[in-house]
Amino acid sequence: MVDTLFIGLSLGSILLLVALGLTITYGAMGVINMAHGEMVMIGAYTTVLSGIYLGANLLVAMPIAFVISAGLGWAIEKVLVRRLYGRLIDTLLATWGVALVLQQAVRLEFGLSFLGIHVEGLGPGLQNVDVPDFLRGTITILGTEVNGYRAFIILVTVVMTAVTWLIMNRTPIGMQVRAVMRNRSMAAACGIDVARVNALTFAYGSGLAGIAGVMMSGFKTVFPDMGAPMVVDGFMVVVVGGVGSLLGAVAASGLLGEINGLVAAVTNDILARAVVFGTVIVVIVLMPRGLFSFKGR
Amino acid sequence: MTLPRSVTIAAYASFVAALMLLPLVVSDPFWLNRFAKYCVYGILGVSIALSWGYAGVLNLGQGLFFGLGAYMIAMSLKLASATSLQQGSTTPLPDFMLWNSEPGAVTDLCCINKGSFLWIPFQWQWFGVAMGLALPTLVAGILGAVIFRKRIAGVFVSIITLALVLLVRLVLIDAQPITNGFNGLTDLGWFTVAGFEFDPYVTPTYYLVAVSLSVVLIGARLLVETRAGLILQAIRDDENRARYLGFDVPAYQIFFFCVSALIAGFAGMLYVLAAEFASPTFMDLTFSITMVVWAAVGGRSSILGACIGAMLINTIEASMSESATFMEAWKVVIGLMFILVVLYLPRGIAGVVKDGIGRLLGRRAVAAAPVVAAGE
Amino acid sequence: MSNKSALTIEEIGVDFSGFKAVDGVSMVVEEGELRVLLGANGAGKTTLMDLVSGKTKSTQGRVFVEDTEITNREEHEIARAGIGRKFQIPSVFRDLTVRRNLEVASCLTPGVFANLGFGFPAEDRDRVDEALELAGLREQAGRRAGELSHGQTQWLELAMLIVQNRKIILLDEPTAGMTQAETFKTSQIINGLKGRHTLVVVEHDMAFVREIAEKITVLHLGKVLAEGRIHDIERNEEVRRAYLGSKGIA
Repeated sequence: MVDTLFIGLSLGSILLLVALGLTITYGAMGVINMAHGEMVMIGAYTTVLSGIYLGANLLVAMPIAFVISAGLGWAIEKVLVRRLYGRLIDTLLATWGVALVLQQAVRLEFGLSFLGIHVEGLGPGLQNVDVPDFLRGTITILGTEVNGYRAFIILVTVVMTAVTWLIMNRTPIGMQVRAVMRNRSMAAACGIDVARVNALTFAYGSGLAGIAGVMMSGFKTVFPDMGAPMVVDGFMVVVVGGVGSLLGAVAASGLLGEINGLVAAVTNDILARAVVFGTVIVVIVLMPRGLFSFKGR
Repeated sequence: MTLPRSVTIAAYASFVAALMLLPLVVSDPFWLNRFAKYCVYGILGVSIALSWGYAGVLNLGQGLFFGLGAYMIAMSLKLASATSLQQGSTTPLPDFMLWNSEPGAVTDLCCINKGSFLWIPFQWQWFGVAMGLALPTLVAGILGAVIFRKRIAGVFVSIITLALVLLVRLVLIDAQPITNGFNGLTDLGWFTVAGFEFDPYVTPTYYLVAVSLSVVLIGARLLVETRAGLILQAIRDDENRARYLGFDVPAYQIFFFCVSALIAGFAGMLYVLAAEFASPTFMDLTFSITMVVWAAVGGRSSILGACIGAMLINTIEASMSESATFMEAWKVVIGLMFILVVLYLPRGIAGVVKDGIGRLLGRRAVAAAPVVAAGE
Repeated sequence: MSNKSALTIEEIGVDFSGFKAVDGVSMVVEEGELRVLLGANGAGKTTLMDLVSGKTKSTQGRVFVEDTEITNREEHEIARAGIGRKFQIPSVFRDLTVRRNLEVASCLTPGVFANLGFGFPAEDRDRVDEALELAGLREQAGRRAGELSHGQTQWLELAMLIVQNRKIILLDEPTAGMTQAETFKTSQIINGLKGRHTLVVVEHDMAFVREIAEKITVLHLGKVLAEGRIHDIERNEEVRRAYLGSKGIA
């Protein structure tokens, strides 16, 4: 039983890692970033490439992935999202276009494959990342043997969530983000540079997705289309948790992860996912504002 | 910008005429079959424009209705297939059911697998047809009643529909013994009416689809011209205002949601006739979003625009797909096109064309009657 | 003028988890009367309208249109029972033309299936033309409602209520954000409705109130403070006290 719950917890923490960034971008900016899953994918490929070209392991890849996907997120905000504020559905569609382009960029090796140049680690094929030795094997928690890497994922998630919480609640920029979340025009009237806050928020959210990608690469095969299902999962967590609520995202990912783990233990993975989707629908219908949400907006 | 009625009628008439005359130009049965599929996509475009453009409901799970329609008719056609008739049982029996059955199970549709009895009525092709229309409509009715009575709106509707299509897709895959899981239903028989078999590669099949498209297209256009269609657009603009004017808002939303689902289900059925398979990929996330892309490029709030958008993108895509690398590059083009359309042409191709014609007519009106024009 | 009551409110109230925005308000508005609701911010005027029109569900009391009880019914049912409402922030169908807006309002058969036909009966079209004339929007009939100026949008919403021809019309600050000329025109439109409809108007602008008012109900902290003719209200000590600090209601 403990190991089932533990698997649920690790599934939940992966969900949370993906959803953290979305909670912030969607909550603060009202932007549905369909390319969020591609940020995860980019993070995963960063791990692959830094393994091949730098001989670096997963831990080293984390900051690199954060910087790369944050930079990409920043650029997307500057070029595209910025022109579409207040047009929720349009941002959804436009970022879907971005997602397609990013997928193809990796698959076509940034166009180099047309010239017959092949970059090792890119392209349409599947990639695998080796987990560093000290994360292999099992460790014992509460008298149960658990997979070391799963424990590591949970640890990283806890740290990233704590860091995000601290930034949001204990720093001046975090306060500005929360102000923008509650009331964009009021925040602007108070002298907050909303455009700058937006760009930073978007970059940070994307950076978190990059880190999620690094973690993902340790136990899943890496391929160009891997992001699409993740953005869906991420959104379900955000909506179930309550838009803009960090606590809600934690609770929702825990809930959905455990449901997934428990149902999978009784039946199979396919039905478990189906039950998760069913839960999401029921929650939205019964509590359209999600499990946790602040009033207003 | 509203164009004179005559322009709209002319646009629809020439589109339908082009559909009808196409076989005179394209004689290659392979290409004719492809165009039949594009016509199906055109029908999907109409269904998206109806729900997105006119009802303001972005359904990211339209593939659900398409898929349900497709599976219903495919079940009938599977039972009519030669592969199902050779299993030595009194009833036709899909080959995959045999492969998936427990050893020693009774080889009959009633009880070979758990749930296989559901297939029994599908031995009558018209039952499959009726279900293909009824099931999507029914599901949409129930879903719509829950969503709209609860006053769930905007992106939440999109997420619920998305979650639902993915849920049904997983259930479908999981029910492998009676649905053939990931592989879907293949090796189908032909749709038969009064002894005539609709071979997907003959002209009559093309006409079946093309005429269906024309009927759906014109029917949908007339529907939004009715008072109910006008009220629907009013609801899209301001739900509350409509409510305080005394309209039962959810009733309108549910009705048009059902019509949109019915059209999508119908499209799914026609697709099976032309493509000879039904598969869980119809309920993939990508397919449902791709449909929305077609409609957005063509013009989300124009029924004809969304239809042409769907057909155009697919035609270009097909000519690209000659080589695999072109195909991959094409996806980049689609992605970029999408970004650009959202940024610069939110009303899609239809918007550009409408503005163009409007300007042309405007200029002519100025030339013909400068005094009147100056008055406005 | 008959003394039949058009709108009867009995002890209506709502409790927002402890806070009573409206607390036991009773009021009888007679047929053809124009009643003005007056009160400081937070007095409960708009909430009272919300309770009558069904936007907010009441936690106590009852509301009647003539003899029909409409307490806590669905918004569209209340509308059909004979109540039309104009919002503080004007709400119209922005993507439809002005004429289309009025046509939608003119459609009094509510069902979907009943409306699966084309066009509108001649009498409805006449009513639309009449309302366009009354609201001074004849020139704008072909324009998209979203392109109208603020004042014109307000008049369009008024015109929609005129077309609807409901017995009772609730107007929430019909002159908010208007210039003096626009306010004057609005008072003309509203005066034109007197007698034909029963009107309940929420308004701050005292000049405007003097222009249109017959009988005034003053709300304070969710309760009725005073009710009467305008000069009685202006001399009422309690009302003056309640408005102290905002220099009376002048």
